Amino acid sequence: MDFFALAWLIPLLPLGAFVFITFFSPLYRSRIISGSVAIVAMLIAVVLAWGILFQAASAGFGAGSESHAAPAEAAHGEGTVAEGAEGEGEHGGVHFEGFGGAYSQSIAWAATGTTTFNVGYLIDAPVALMLAMVTLAGFCIHLFSMGYMAHDEYPAGHERQSRFFSFIALFTASMLGMVLADNLLLFFICWELMGLCSYLLIGFWYFKPSAYRAARKAFITTRIGDVFMMLGLFYLYTQAGSLTFGTAEGQIFNPALLERLHNQTTFFGMSAATAISLLIFMGTVGKSAQFPLHVWLPDAMEGPTPVSALIHAATMVAAGVFLVARTYPIFIESETALTVVAAVGAFTAIFAALIAVAQFDIKRILAYSTLSQLGFMVAALGIGGWVAGLFHLLTHAFFKALLFLGSGSVIHGMEAAVGHDPNKAQDIRNMGGLRRFMGVTWLTYMIGYLALAGVPFFSGFFSKDEIIADAFGRGDTLGYVVYGTLSVASLLTAFYMTRQIMVVFYGPFRGFQPRPVDPQQDYSEAVPVETPAHDPAHSPAVTSASHGAHDSTAKTYTTHATTAAHGATAHDTHGGHGDAHGHHEAHEPHESPWQMTVPLIILALFAFGAGYANIPEVAGIEFPGQHWLSHFLQQEAAEFNILVAGIATLLSLAGIGLGYAMYRGAFARATDLDPLEARMPGLFRILNNKFYIDELYAATIGRFTNWFGRGLSFFDRNVVDGTVNGVGVGSLLLAKINFIIDDYVLNQGADNLAEGTAITGDGLRQTTTGKIQDYGALIFAGVLLIALIYLYAF
Amino acid sequence: MDAYLNFRAGVPWLSLLVFLPLIGAVLAAITPEGRDGRIQKWGTFALSLAPLGIAIFLAATYSGGSTDNGRQQIFDYAERLPWISVLGAEYQLGLDGISLPLVLLTTLMTPIAILASFNVRERPRYFLALILLMETAMLGVFLSLDFILFFIFWEVSLIPGFFLISSWGREANSRRYAAFKFFVYTVAGSVGMLLAFEFFYLATSAAGRGTFDLVELSRLAQGLPVAGIQGDLGQMVYSYMQNLGVVNVLGGSVGFYMGALFLATFVALAIKLAVWPFHTWLPDAYAEAPTPASMLIAGVLTKMGAYAMLRLMLPIFPEQMQQAAGVLGFFAFMSIIVGAWVAYNIGRAPFRRERKLNDIKRLISYLSINHMGYVMLAIAAAGAAQGDLNSRAIAINGAVMQMFAHGLSTGALFFLAGSLAERTGSYELTSFGGLRMIVPVFAALMGVAMFANLGLPGMAGFVGEFFIFRGTWPALPLWTILSMLGLVISALALLLMFQRVFSGPVNERLRGLPDITLREWSVLLPLLALLIVFGVYPLPLMRIANETALAVVRFFSGA
Repeated sequence: MDFFALAWLIPLLPLGAFVFITFFSPLYRSRIISGSVAIVAMLIAVVLAWGILFQAASAGFGAGSESHAAPAEAAHGEGTVAEGAEGEGEHGGVHFEGFGGAYSQSIAWAATGTTTFNVGYLIDAPVALMLAMVTLAGFCIHLFSMGYMAHDEYPAGHERQSRFFSFIALFTASMLGMVLADNLLLFFICWELMGLCSYLLIGFWYFKPSAYRAARKAFITTRIGDVFMMLGLFYLYTQAGSLTFGTAEGQIFNPALLERLHNQTTFFGMSAATAISLLIFMGTVGKSAQFPLHVWLPDAMEGPTPVSALIHAATMVAAGVFLVARTYPIFIESETALTVVAAVGAFTAIFAALIAVAQFDIKRILAYSTLSQLGFMVAALGIGGWVAGLFHLLTHAFFKALLFLGSGSVIHGMEAAVGHDPNKAQDIRNMGGLRRFMGVTWLTYMIGYLALAGVPFFSGFFSKDEIIADAFGRGDTLGYVVYGTLSVASLLTAFYMTRQIMVVFYGPFRGFQPRPVDPQQDYSEAVPVETPAHDPAHSPAVTSASHGAHDSTAKTYTTHATTAAHGATAHDTHGGHGDAHGHHEAHEPHESPWQMTVPLIILALFAFGAGYANIPEVAGIEFPGQHWLSHFLQQEAAEFNILVAGIATLLSLAGIGLGYAMYRGAFARATDLDPLEARMPGLFRILNNKFYIDELYAATIGRFTNWFGRGLSFFDRNVVDGTVNGVGVGSLLLAKINFIIDDYVLNQGADNLAEGTAITGDGLRQTTTGKIQDYGALIFAGVLLIALIYLYAF
Repeated sequence: MDAYLNFRAGVPWLSLLVFLPLIGAVLAAITPEGRDGRIQKWGTFALSLAPLGIAIFLAATYSGGSTDNGRQQIFDYAERLPWISVLGAEYQLGLDGISLPLVLLTTLMTPIAILASFNVRERPRYFLALILLMETAMLGVFLSLDFILFFIFWEVSLIPGFFLISSWGREANSRRYAAFKFFVYTVAGSVGMLLAFEFFYLATSAAGRGTFDLVELSRLAQGLPVAGIQGDLGQMVYSYMQNLGVVNVLGGSVGFYMGALFLATFVALAIKLAVWPFHTWLPDAYAEAPTPASMLIAGVLTKMGAYAMLRLMLPIFPEQMQQAAGVLGFFAFMSIIVGAWVAYNIGRAPFRRERKLNDIKRLISYLSINHMGYVMLAIAAAGAAQGDLNSRAIAINGAVMQMFAHGLSTGALFFLAGSLAERTGSYELTSFGGLRMIVPVFAALMGVAMFANLGLPGMAGFVGEFFIFRGTWPALPLWTILSMLGLVISALALLLMFQRVFSGPVNERLRGLPDITLREWSVLLPLLALLIVFGVYPLPLMRIANETALAVVRFFSGA
């Protein structure tokens, strides 16, 4: 069975599920049918994707076939297996040797002058890996959703679980389409469709203002990045003549083209390669939520939890990293671009890790952790560790999907105790001791935790170590700076994850007396109504917009969204849930149903084992499958540095120890102060408020945007339209003057003449009396008049 | 010399296409109305399907191409009859790759607009007659190859627009203002263009044979041979001015006089396309017009401006285009920015005092200005001094795609806004909220129309925008970069509008609104389906435009 030829089915299966669920309205309200359709579609996709992976691993991509002589035109409608360019060579510490062989098919899609734009799919080693990961994680998330969305927050009669399944199916389809795309335009199309899906899913509970604002914020923030990325595409397209991946003439990795880009100077003295790379990288910054466009991602937690898993692990954020990996031949033409990439990644890694230390929402902690881990991957690509970045992307996808789904399971269980209020059910201070109630969730969560913390023998250890080793191995300033930053970030990672584990799964269960959500105290979640600039759910660009618009109702909204003091009101508004989770007290948190635990177990296996895909060579001992990933990706295997690995392990353990020591006895009651806050209240507050970046944006960009809009609107109405109306009025005035002249002088003049004639006639008629003496008198008078005129006038 | 006119024996399809709606208009107006004009409604709808059928037939059998080494597009289905011989005007129609997509758009939008007018209660037969009259005028503009014929259709298109707005508009006072502004502004603009072409006629008759033939004029301007007339168009105008003695008074060079004529033409077309700063008639007209008229005016009528730029400005004033490209790019940029930001300002609706600042239709109107700014940018780049052949052709292909997509998506948005107002009696953004819960299907369709309008990939609008910016990048990089801001802000404006209406807590006052009706489905389905079809697979439409686009821009790349 030739799986390569069937690859186009992989995105089409979930897409078909999306179309099916959306348009066949008898299923509109049926969770079971729509969920099953999506899950079955995903299951087939998993089989196909893993088939492709095995086919690729066993048969390779036609290694030894004649070198790349097949231009895009030859690829029409038929499969071509072409070998990639020979070694890209070393560019200062960059380990990248091309993508290896590829299988591609394409059709004509658009007419572009004398050329034609072709669109199709392409499979090479990284694509095969990504397909396997995305389908598997996607499948687990679909299955999990079946349990998690058993009841949602909708009022009775408005359940939309089937709509949820159609959205996540579309989301997965877009991601898979993006991975398979054989050119950057199709890549971008799918990339944007993911933006759409994230909008739809983050704003899934659209009646919550915090949710729809978060959705808008996500869409707009990523679109800002996308706009730059589009510019990069235009630039590249103009230079290359197409956007097709490949090394042939007219394709974007053509060596002659790359050479030209490297040497060509463009604006600000950058090389064209630098400009293109940086513009494309802006797309990554938006999508993978790197600093400074990271603000949307934590807010994206407003969506249902499986969505968070989908966004944070398998799809959207992975897409950004994959973009850089995919266009890597262009990046390595530019030292500057790689340095920027490394710097942004490393900074985001430590920046987000710091914020994560001081969050209380279980999902937000994981969200910042995702930011931080994405920073690791981006930094890895920046320092030239292409395999390391991709490796970490894969392992992270598994353990982060696991952690998110685990947190979903925790929240699901917590709702039994505290009700459907996310402010209570997601606050780790209300949890504690959950391992006693939910064994499977606890166990699998621990595996994800150990993997993320970088404990040896778990997957995260191997991939993170490879990044750190690559950074260290560079041996230059950039390498050491990145190495140092990432080491501190991994210490922090171990610390905040231990904090979360200790507070959530150990200690006493505090959910029976949850924290009253007090907007004054709980500044992590609450929005003080009086200070508009403080709303974390606001888009930077629209903060005052929304406030301006809602000012009379803002108070109610805020109450709904953030305070549980009005829980009862919120419940009434959101309608009856009609399930056992209404009001609690008597219920303990419970383990989740099998649809939720089975995916956790599957993901846990991979979260543990995925690291063995690329085990390094330690002390000369040979393992079977050693460096499998590097070989599969046709790259040189990274060297193992026992010193670096040792230090990394020590740092992880130190972070764990520190977390354990600090949080072992913390939170006897839900209302207790965080131990870190007790010690460093000022710092904690800054971290808790995410360095006030949202507020900064609202005060600058947001304010400017609003001001500019108001200004342009004013200008438009008063100056531009004013001129038009002025000209109009002026013309009218001229017309009026004209009219006056016309009417009074000319028109009325004629009238007057006529009237005068009539009057004169009337008068004259009086004279025609018929009496001869009157005529005589008149003649006399006339002669007299003429004589007088004659005498005096002349 | 008729090698570029492809006459076909048999039925004069183009004349049939242009005048069928006119016959329908007369029939609709003279037949008795009966019960709420049902006869006219179904009759005009059925009749308007005939032009659509003809247009599809023409698209299927269209054979494009170019002659004169690719510098002259071939006009298919050409018709040519002597007409006003005193003026040298001929009755001349022809179809090429740029007019065909617009003809398709016109013939598609008309039956849809007629469907949308089924609930017009006031004198429906005249309403429908005016809609069909507008179709005739628009098709005439897109198909005429003679300036006098073109100009007559151009001006006639205003008449139905004026009466539709002034008699069936929203509010008695403001609709009269809007209708007058629409009419007077456009007529005033056209005068200059008419004068410019009369100069051409006089200049060419001094040089041998006076002509209003648009193709002949463009061939003269580009140095291609024309039977009976020798020389270069600019030179002819200059020597005519010399003979008149104008040069002695004003001085100046060849470029000066051609520049003046270019300016006169540009202003006329810019007003029609509503390019900043000639755009202010548009929000008033769109907002006040009844829904079907908004759909037609916004969807098709303004495209006449862009079409005329491609038909008149690029081929007849090539050198002036090259000199003015930067300035035209600036106007385009301003349209994009002003359109997006003013729409955003309406979307966030900070002031509730003034209706103008809180109106859905005005928001959509400003976004139309924004979108037509992209088209203007493409045209400027196609004629700019820098840039390569493919980029220019791509820009025009993108512009054609954008016009087509914008016609569909903005038509859908206006229709939805109208339906919303029909249900709730309000166009004010702040009077809704949470409607997605009450009318979920309606909300979903509005969402699709919105995302199509903001250029979401997978929809036709994206294809247009992507290729426009791809085409403008080498020629006008600065305006391209700055205009990208418009993509962000226009998206923000639309999302604000959508969320203001459909998200958030339910506005209790609006409970129990009916969801989408069958008639509304039938209006929206073709629009949205075509947006997705051409977004997923744009090749059929782009292939039609491509050959002609290449012929139009080949002069600029010095080939």
